[in-house]
Amino acid sequence: MANKSVWSDNRFWQRSAAWVTGFAAVLLIWLTFDTMGQISMGTDADLQSGVTKRVPGPTVINYKISYEMSTKRGLEVPVIGEKEKFFGRDDYSEKEARALLHLGKLGSQAKNCMNCHTLLGNGAYYAPDLTKAWLDPAWQDGGTMQAMTGKSTKEEAMAEFLQHPSTYPTHSRMMPNLGITAEEAKGLVAFLKHMSSIDTNGFPRNFGRMQGAVNGK
Amino acid sequence: MFEQFTDVVPSFFGWLNQGPMTLTIFLHTIIVLPMIWIYKQEKARLEQEG
Repeated sequence: MANKSVWSDNRFWQRSAAWVTGFAAVLLIWLTFDTMGQISMGTDADLQSGVTKRVPGPTVINYKISYEMSTKRGLEVPVIGEKEKFFGRDDYSEKEARALLHLGKLGSQAKNCMNCHTLLGNGAYYAPDLTKAWLDPAWQDGGTMQAMTGKSTKEEAMAEFLQHPSTYPTHSRMMPNLGITAEEAKGLVAFLKHMSSIDTNGFPRNFGRMQGAVNGK
Repeated sequence: MFEQFTDVVPSFFGWLNQGPMTLTIFLHTIIVLPMIWIYKQEKARLEQEG
């Protein structure tokens, strides 16, 4: 057996398999904890001290959010700017903002937004992607949605639309009336505003804001 | 080989993923190198037994 190949030797494969399995197990545990750091939500203190988090704290609804090209990263990133009124207030406490986002999140699940829309990569593409809906120019000052709903702010126009979607002709695939109440609509808009502030590495690349896109497609 | 770190939250894996030195290349390297070492050990053992 002088010329027995290592490739046909059981012990070589056993030891290799043990190494790969052991290493992969350690790596997966490490990656899990690494991910926790990436996805954990920031706090109000982070926002005030300018600490960047992938997912900002709920009080981000008190601030203006813009989407700007970062030449360093080669993609667009949400930038949290100065204070901005949200339904007439810019002093939502962490508890209030969290409650509002929670209401919006439950509302989005109860009304099954994902049946047609996409939120953070989850959902459908029957209707526009909502991940960055807050930044869609159609809702901004001078945009078509404020004129159509007769409201003077982005959040009020969105809330009005959500309560009576079938009233406003936006698209050939019109949104049905889902019986969303005024309070739920407020929560949903807060939920959308917070979502737009999440750094998603430039996803989605092509939403209503981009030139050449039609109706948010 | 190593490029400026541009990720939002600092992390070892984020750093590894920035440039051409990607996570995949790193992980394959780290898995394959000890296998070469195991191979050599086993070869020496077989030669000794033979």
